[in-house]
Amino acid sequence: MRFPMNPLRPVAPEEQAPGVHPTPLWSVRPQSDRQAGDAVVSNFLLHWFPAKVSKASLDWNYSFWLGTVSAALLLLLTLSGFPLLFLYVPSIERAYSSIKDIEFAVTFGSWIRSVHRFSAHLMVAAVFLHLARVFLTGAYKNGIGQGQRREWNWVIGVVMLLLTLFLSFTGYLLPWDQLAYWAVTVGTNIASSIPFVGDPIRELMLGGRTIDQPTLIRFYVLHVLVLPGVLGLLLVYHMWRIRKDAGLARADRAARLEAPAVVTPGQTKTYTLLGVARGTAPTVRTTALETPDTTVNSVPDLTRRAMIVTLGTIAVLSIMSVFLRSPLEEAANALVTPNPAKAPWYFLWLQEIVTLTTVRIGSFTINGAFLGGVILPGLLVGLLTVWPWLDRSPSAAAGVWFPQSRRTQNIVFLVLVLLILTLTFVGTFMRGPYWQLYWPWETWPDIPTRL
Amino acid sequence: MSDKAQAGPRAEPVTFFKKNRREFLLRLGTGAGIAAIGYQGVASLRSLVPNVSYDAPTTVKVGLPGDFPDGLKFLPDLRLFVFREGKVYHAISAVCTHLGCTVRAEALSQPERRSVGGQELRLTHRFQCPCHGSRYEGDGTNVSGPAPKPLAWYQLSVAPDDGQLVVDLAAEVDHDFRLTVA
Repeated sequence: MRFPMNPLRPVAPEEQAPGVHPTPLWSVRPQSDRQAGDAVVSNFLLHWFPAKVSKASLDWNYSFWLGTVSAALLLLLTLSGFPLLFLYVPSIERAYSSIKDIEFAVTFGSWIRSVHRFSAHLMVAAVFLHLARVFLTGAYKNGIGQGQRREWNWVIGVVMLLLTLFLSFTGYLLPWDQLAYWAVTVGTNIASSIPFVGDPIRELMLGGRTIDQPTLIRFYVLHVLVLPGVLGLLLVYHMWRIRKDAGLARADRAARLEAPAVVTPGQTKTYTLLGVARGTAPTVRTTALETPDTTVNSVPDLTRRAMIVTLGTIAVLSIMSVFLRSPLEEAANALVTPNPAKAPWYFLWLQEIVTLTTVRIGSFTINGAFLGGVILPGLLVGLLTVWPWLDRSPSAAAGVWFPQSRRTQNIVFLVLVLLILTLTFVGTFMRGPYWQLYWPWETWPDIPTRL
Repeated sequence: MSDKAQAGPRAEPVTFFKKNRREFLLRLGTGAGIAAIGYQGVASLRSLVPNVSYDAPTTVKVGLPGDFPDGLKFLPDLRLFVFREGKVYHAISAVCTHLGCTVRAEALSQPERRSVGGQELRLTHRFQCPCHGSRYEGDGTNVSGPAPKPLAWYQLSVAPDDGQLVVDLAAEVDHDFRLTVA
């Protein structure tokens, strides 16, 4: 067979052997299955895709491509972070004015900062929605493949959500405005509310006993180096695990649809090359995966959609940032706490919880900072982490939206999400001066900002 | 392994070192490697714990007693309220005991007298926190909101050299503390 990949170059017979590729280039419009497979094998950026992928797992309305959206936002954050890295000065005297320069003096500075800021906000939302999708479809469940460890990819995902939140937190500290200063105050005091080890932890976070230059440089290094590095490594592992786990849970589902009776012993499909030799890789023995109507070539079917999602995300953010400016509060002022002092929207439910959870039992008082700031979020994260091991539903429930066998847990999950959203709404629209409750349409009383 | 082959009178008590020299060296090397990397990790982390504090001093002169107005004066950089009633002074922290925001004082329309710490005290203000809505009475007692305990009272004294009031932000005192300046 000859392939019209590079018509100028004749294909020598030895180059047609498996694993030998006629040309290092690849086509985005492959003319044959062989060409489509070659794209995956010969292109570095595509090597994490399988040659063939289950059609059903590409459906827009199964995954909503939220993981890809999150990854695209991370890419955008990295790209927009680079110019900011050159423009921002991590010093408590100059941080605020350098952000002001970016906002008002640097050409395109305001746009770059908006891209960075809105990407960060949307990434929190996208990563959370991705987690919700995976939970509601039971996609952390193992299906028919041997050696699948989807529950561990879920755990990595939970860690990545926490990293996303911590990246956002460290990010909005950097302008060293009032939002930043009082967020550090509250955030580190939550840490110091932990019995016995709290104060040393706070001192380690602050680099001293008060919020000062060592504090800013610590959060800066975490934001630009440590956290993105860890998140990047975990992202790569997250993607690799999808391959090891034989694709999305939906793919297993598709394989299950055909009757397994027609399986012939010799027909196996493995997802890794090394797995063949070791016999440890997930192997799916089914005819459904082999039939042409359930699978498609990764190139171009998967790559096309991934590009649509990535470029779409970049386009939306770029255009949005032209029209929406990023706010900046007054410069950090240790002498005046803003009234009310509000966290960004994704932390407002936590601000509500620390407000509501101070418990008094007789003369004994548990600070809401500890109960609502450490214990309750810790329990939530702990429960999320171990949930795949508590979920006893059959593996047939993997990769399906709202299956009957997972109805109760899905409802409990949604109720918790609704609770968090309600608290977020209350914090955003119903808290006024001195954190008092007001209706969203009520006018706040006029309270002087200074004594 | 080889000791079984040389079955003889000394076959049993071969030393650990001779018996498993290869394994012993492997363990020694691995252990040394772990210890070295661990110590470097500890050293790197330890370097982040400051040995020298550049924090502001906790004992601060705040001005001559006569310059304080009757009632309340807020010292924002110390986050401190200094109260004066005639010749009697006391100081209450403005740091909320919940999560450390600065509480704001609100003057009462009608000052009230109350026994605080066994002594009578005139309460002219109450305090509210802008971060999570904690409320305190004029003597710092927490009355509502998430604050777990009352605002701290700090020790006041008169500097022997120039007669200024001195506050010690490291010395918390009971609510019966009063400084009377002659």
